Amino acid sequence: MPEAAPLILKNPDDPADVAKVFSYLVSLVSKPPIKAFMSPEVAGSIWKQNVKIADENNKPGTFTAFCSYEYTSQFNFRNLHRNVYFRDCAKVADQPFSSMDSWHPEDLWKWMDTQREAGNELLAISHNANLSDGWMYPSDMDSLGRPIDAAWAASRDRNERLVEIKQIKGQSETHPLLSPNDEFANYEIASFLIGLPEDSGRVPAIVGSYARQALKDGVTMQDTRGYNPYKFGFVAGADSHNSGAPYRQNNFYGGHGINDGSIETRMAGHIFTGSDVRWESPAGLSVAWAEENTRASIWDAMYRKETYATSGTRIKLRFFGGWDYKDGMLADQDWVKAAYAGGTTMGADLPAVSGEARAPSFVLWAVKDPTSANLDRIQIVKGWSKNGQSFEKIYDVAWAGDREPDWTGEVPPIESTVDIENATYADTVGAAELKTVWTDPDFDASQHAFYYARVLEIPTPRWSAIQAKLLGMAPPDVVPATQQERAWSSPIWYTPTAEARQAAAPGLTVADLTANGATALSEDELKTLIVGKSIWVTNTVTGEPIKIRYDQGGTAVVLHVGTGSLQPSLSGDLPQRSYQTTAANYEIKDGKIVTYVSSTPISMAVYKSEASQGGQTLHDQATYYGARSNEFGYANYELLLKPPANLVALEKSDMIPNDEQAKYLNVPVKVSE
Amino acid sequence: MSLAENNPGRDASASRRALSGVLREPLVHFLAIGAVLLGAYSLFERAPQEEASPKEIVLSVDSMAQLLMIFESQWKRQPTQDEFNAMIEDRIRQDILYREALALGLDKEDTIVKRRMAQKMQFLAEDVAAQQEPTSDELRAWFAGHTDLFTVPARISFRHLYFSPDKRGGSARDDAGKALAGLDGAPQNAALTGSLGDHFMFQDYYGDRASQAIAGEFGVEFADAVATLQPGSWQGPVKSGYGWHLVFVDNKTAARVPAFEEVEQEVKTAWLGTQKAEAWRKAYEEMRAKYTVIMPVPAEADEAGAPEGTVAQTPGQAAGAPL
Repeated sequence: MPEAAPLILKNPDDPADVAKVFSYLVSLVSKPPIKAFMSPEVAGSIWKQNVKIADENNKPGTFTAFCSYEYTSQFNFRNLHRNVYFRDCAKVADQPFSSMDSWHPEDLWKWMDTQREAGNELLAISHNANLSDGWMYPSDMDSLGRPIDAAWAASRDRNERLVEIKQIKGQSETHPLLSPNDEFANYEIASFLIGLPEDSGRVPAIVGSYARQALKDGVTMQDTRGYNPYKFGFVAGADSHNSGAPYRQNNFYGGHGINDGSIETRMAGHIFTGSDVRWESPAGLSVAWAEENTRASIWDAMYRKETYATSGTRIKLRFFGGWDYKDGMLADQDWVKAAYAGGTTMGADLPAVSGEARAPSFVLWAVKDPTSANLDRIQIVKGWSKNGQSFEKIYDVAWAGDREPDWTGEVPPIESTVDIENATYADTVGAAELKTVWTDPDFDASQHAFYYARVLEIPTPRWSAIQAKLLGMAPPDVVPATQQERAWSSPIWYTPTAEARQAAAPGLTVADLTANGATALSEDELKTLIVGKSIWVTNTVTGEPIKIRYDQGGTAVVLHVGTGSLQPSLSGDLPQRSYQTTAANYEIKDGKIVTYVSSTPISMAVYKSEASQGGQTLHDQATYYGARSNEFGYANYELLLKPPANLVALEKSDMIPNDEQAKYLNVPVKVSE
Repeated sequence: MSLAENNPGRDASASRRALSGVLREPLVHFLAIGAVLLGAYSLFERAPQEEASPKEIVLSVDSMAQLLMIFESQWKRQPTQDEFNAMIEDRIRQDILYREALALGLDKEDTIVKRRMAQKMQFLAEDVAAQQEPTSDELRAWFAGHTDLFTVPARISFRHLYFSPDKRGGSARDDAGKALAGLDGAPQNAALTGSLGDHFMFQDYYGDRASQAIAGEFGVEFADAVATLQPGSWQGPVKSGYGWHLVFVDNKTAARVPAFEEVEQEVKTAWLGTQKAEAWRKAYEEMRAKYTVIMPVPAEADEAGAPEGTVAQTPGQAAGAPL
């Protein structure tokens, strides 16, 4: 364009020429605008430059560079960031859709749809969900305040194929409060709001910020509403702002320029943008099982979710699900081919079962990173839904050494070889390779479910312990000194057939109750029923009874919850609260009992019914049913007016006579060697 | 859970507070690249309006057409009337807030504003440098002086026997050593692998691999060790991240410098990169030369007759100054 002629530097070696061009540039700022520079072709020149750099460095077969950008929506300090990947750089838009255009992810998806329709394939990856203040994975209301519906779910599913499960600012798999029975959940937690002023009193939400809960809500929404917005695969990221990704514990140089770029800033626990640098974690890595190292092949693998994530080491992981995998198949040289042929792989649905009803089996294979530690175990994380409740269970399926599962079914922790003082470990425990074929022992063909694999390395020193050793100081006590690197496969989903689903007894819904004449208790009735009282509540889905004491001052304790009990989503750590008799606040508000999971309120409405509702317990008077706000319209709780006498049904049916009681006393428990 | 607690339409002041929070948030600034120039051009556009009257917002046909053009380049369609109205209102809001902010002097001594303006200068300088097209002869000459950047690495073909600590525990290395004694003078026969070593999880034979690829599969220690082995016999035990190996190197291909024609495109990319850096360095040097920097000095160094407590850096002194 002629307007740009004075901008062209004819000879960069000639200072006079450089000065001339520069003074012209500077003069532009104070003059009327040059229209020719305002076209998208010019305004989008940075984006064009980005695309050009990707093209220049893309070497098919050796190094793949995607055209991509970050949609940095940060409304009210909530991290709703998405990374957008284009399949073909030749087709990218002149200008990407940024959070300057709209902070609502729904608008991003709308834009992505128009791009796809125009032949420009693209996908988005949600990122740093753990810092989203509960807004990354809503189940009732979208960011525009509209109820979530099938169209919203379809739009999300079309566009957001993957989620980032770990990056420098922590992991987004799950939180110990959401997964109290997962002893490996207490890992690289980061829970703050980026940029929140230091004097702010805001508490970020845990609920709605983690992927496992979203997967559980997803299958529950599929079951109760007929759509699942959260059928995503896993990748990981760096989110480094240094243009280098520090993905190893022994080479962790931070991700935010001068804010964590020196060992002194890191180990002094420098505070910036609401974070303590010591919370940071090395970057995660993403792996795609692609036919070849090219844009199209890798993008397609990402789109079909045939991906897994690691915490930063190069663990290799394969995961297949099917109906007829044979136990010995892994001994065969060509087992991968057989696994593809006989089922489905990570990120996909289990194929339809043919023939007799049976449990699905899964093929799992993991190999250590040759430059990192040995492997401890492979686990399957299973989530499923019943009557609006969702559950999770973790199975140890393959492990190193000759450990045996203990009486709870869990494989004991592997011996730690970490020497914290010297920040070293040894590969004298653990395995180079783990593999197995596992069949779900608790399969119920009527329940929506998902399964994903998690691989753990043996314990190794965390970066903060390594750098503490270098500085000659004790490891910081605000984070663990050791950690276990890991990998997470994308899930495999099971969807029951209509016949299998209908074979299960239907649960009780609020709609059923009110149709049968039940009425919600008023605030006064509710107060009369529970305040200053203790009540027993049975979860009719699991059959587990719990005792709750509600005092006059607004605190309550739960009792009699075992560590092996099955608890539905968003119950908090009930076994610990129960054993320790730790009180928590409750309030009665809008005719409901409100309790909190961290800062998120969960309420229970109570209905009184004279009619039989087909519950599982016997009643001799009017029955009260509870419906929790996060259980998708089901009334899954019965308030018992008569407590159970005993909580354990002993298998021995005969009472032991008094004169034989002594047989059960004075038993030696110490076995001599 | 519900997201209705904060309805953005209901609380515009909260939105503004949040927006200003976002704009202050340093991480955001790494990311909003596209918006940088967009912002710059809306600055240009504002100038004549301000000349007309400080309290008048004039939207010309051209500026409205510009909004349309931006929308179309993103959405590949015309905006609806509502969308268009919202865009106009956004533009007006932005202009008003910008002017009010300038009136309050919010642009003064703002690190972010300063950094952004400085960054724009650098972008513009680099852009103009990239306009110069090199001739093939220029590239050829430059390539001759920088062949180390384009060297094709050495490659090795080898087969190996694996001795697994998972199966053999601490005796894996000794077992490998014993097996080697039995292999003395044996050929690279692949049929041996089944009987002597353990099943390896990847490949038994690796053809024509660069050291980097071997390191990726086995670890750096193993790759370095294999690079020193002579072809033609079983050797080891060699340690990898998985355990112990006996290795038979079939052949080695030495590293080589490619012909210019093989890598012309990469040479051009690299050449443009260096031109850009060089142009920026010179442009900055020119600007730097025009300035004198006054800095405080420690009291004891204050003997050379400089104004008390400060030292002036003339352009001549600036070279090599530890800034």
